Amino acid sequence: MAEPVLTLEGIRKVYNPGTAVATEVLHGIDFSLAAGEFCAIIGPSGSGKSTLLNIIGLLDRPTDGRLLIGARDTAQLSDKMLTALRGEAIGFVFQYHYLITAFTALENVMMPLLVGRGFPNPEMARTAERLLDEVGLLPWRDAKVGNLSGGQQQRVAVARALARRPSIVLADEPTGNLDTKSADAVFELMREVNRRDGTSFLIVTHNLRLADRCDRVVEVVDGRIVSDRKAAAGPIPA
Amino acid sequence: MNRFLPFEWIAATRFLKEGAVQTLLIITGVAVGVGVVVFMSALLSGLQGDFLKRMFSSQAQIVLQPPDKIARPLRTDGDAIVLATVIKPSQRLRSIDQWQKVRDITRTIPGILTVSPMASGAAFAVKGGADKSISLMGVDPAVYFSIVDIPGKLTAGMARLNVGDILIGIQLASDLGVAVNDKLRITTASGASQTLTITGIFDLGNRGANQRNTYVALHTAQTLLGLTGGVTSIDVTVKDVYAAEDIAQLITAATGVEADSWIKTNADFFSFINSQNMSNAAIRIFVSLSVAFGIASVLVVSVVQRSKEIGILRAMGASRGQMLRVFLIQGGLVGFLGSLLGSSLGWAILAVWRDYARHADGTPLFTIVMEPSLVLLAMLLATVTGVAAAILPAMRAARLEPVVAIRG
Repeated sequence: MAEPVLTLEGIRKVYNPGTAVATEVLHGIDFSLAAGEFCAIIGPSGSGKSTLLNIIGLLDRPTDGRLLIGARDTAQLSDKMLTALRGEAIGFVFQYHYLITAFTALENVMMPLLVGRGFPNPEMARTAERLLDEVGLLPWRDAKVGNLSGGQQQRVAVARALARRPSIVLADEPTGNLDTKSADAVFELMREVNRRDGTSFLIVTHNLRLADRCDRVVEVVDGRIVSDRKAAAGPIPA
Repeated sequence: MNRFLPFEWIAATRFLKEGAVQTLLIITGVAVGVGVVVFMSALLSGLQGDFLKRMFSSQAQIVLQPPDKIARPLRTDGDAIVLATVIKPSQRLRSIDQWQKVRDITRTIPGILTVSPMASGAAFAVKGGADKSISLMGVDPAVYFSIVDIPGKLTAGMARLNVGDILIGIQLASDLGVAVNDKLRITTASGASQTLTITGIFDLGNRGANQRNTYVALHTAQTLLGLTGGVTSIDVTVKDVYAAEDIAQLITAATGVEADSWIKTNADFFSFINSQNMSNAAIRIFVSLSVAFGIASVLVVSVVQRSKEIGILRAMGASRGQMLRVFLIQGGLVGFLGSLLGSSLGWAILAVWRDYARHADGTPLFTIVMEPSLVLLAMLLATVTGVAAAILPAMRAARLEPVVAIRG
């Protein structure tokens, strides 16, 4: 099996710990994601999927347990180092695109690189152009993102998530706001990137039809992993 | 994207551009504030400058005079107590002791422009059957004319003061019916008398001064007033008129001669200028505060509106410091652009003011000088205020947790 890009050992998350309203939402999650894996996380609302994704995305810290990105233990990292690691290793796609409306499509894709380096350079623009081309939106490179359709916006968001060649892309309901056709297009796009570049994907979704088209489906209920199986449909043949 | 601009500047300018209406409104708000400050400051400094110029066109900023004569009460040996009523003796015209030495010491004190000795006293100007009391002022024209610009105020003749020459005011000339090159007999109370030639007639802009002031060479006055080789006062001008009192004290300490500054002799006027300066400072402070609150409120709204974008930027690796700077720069830019517009506005109002505020004869009421330093100061102040006003909103942006911001 390929080296894991992500390892969770006994991850617990308690909100308001030590108070009368302490709520434990994750009860000791053990999980690992191999390089190049395309994995869906499913589960009912309130089961802790998003909390899990936030912890994996270094947006939130676990109350207990170990989280390794690659071979790197994140427990001892400062806030600043976590931010830097997040920028390098993880790409995000959310249910809503969250593109920055003050910038064009191309500039939005450049943004993670710009944030990381500090100053823009032509290399960044070339990378962003290539990514926009891959998601089929090069003709819209100079369009304000507000003028794009929902599906196009989400494709720009996928391109942006890939800008720094992260080892993991975390997608939280990436197709939740899209019609079936656009949803399929965005899903296929991510699948293609996964096959071509070997980028690992972890996708939280309610859409069982899409989940079944992943390599692996993990089901979370009440803060616990209740099943971890190969997808019914299996990976789509290359 | 400009290659030479860092991420923070690019984001700050784009955010301002995107909220164009908001940005324009707050820049206009800042501009009005800065315009008022620039206009008020230029007006007040013009007004004060004009007052001071008028004041110092006929007097020095510091005058050194011999000490008053005082009577000392009798003292007896032993424990006897003497009750005495001390009556101040009359003050006869006296010279400053060793005035050349005093003058030389005074010249070495920093901040001093000119040091001009003068021998002055009362006299009569006699022409035919008419006589007029005058103030006879013996000066060294080379230095005195740089304090009081007599050559610039001449209406006839020239500013020549050799032995035997006299310059008189237009009122005295008219009272005595004399003109340039006429002879005038000057008599002092002690009986000394000399006939002098009128070389020039001046107009000091003040009827009393035009009637009484007459200028002769120092030596002529010394002879007429019985002050052989002596002077009754030394006039001093300084670079910074507001430092006159401090310098006067330095002179007294260095020479032992009493030195009175204009600040002491015109205390009311000085306190008027002071209160003007204080009210100007108060206006500046209140305008700055309202500008700061305006900028802060707009940026707070902007942070709330953009919290999701801030969240996503943080998620993709933007540091808290970067988010802080994005909003500080926005505050600074709004302050800077507002002050640029405001300074132009201030200029425009001043130009209109200059056109309207005129004497009946069309000459301006007073000169308003728009100093570039004032504009630069206003711009610096507004930019710093903008950055300071942005601190709270920027900290709020920097503190946003990406999860909270994105989930909103």
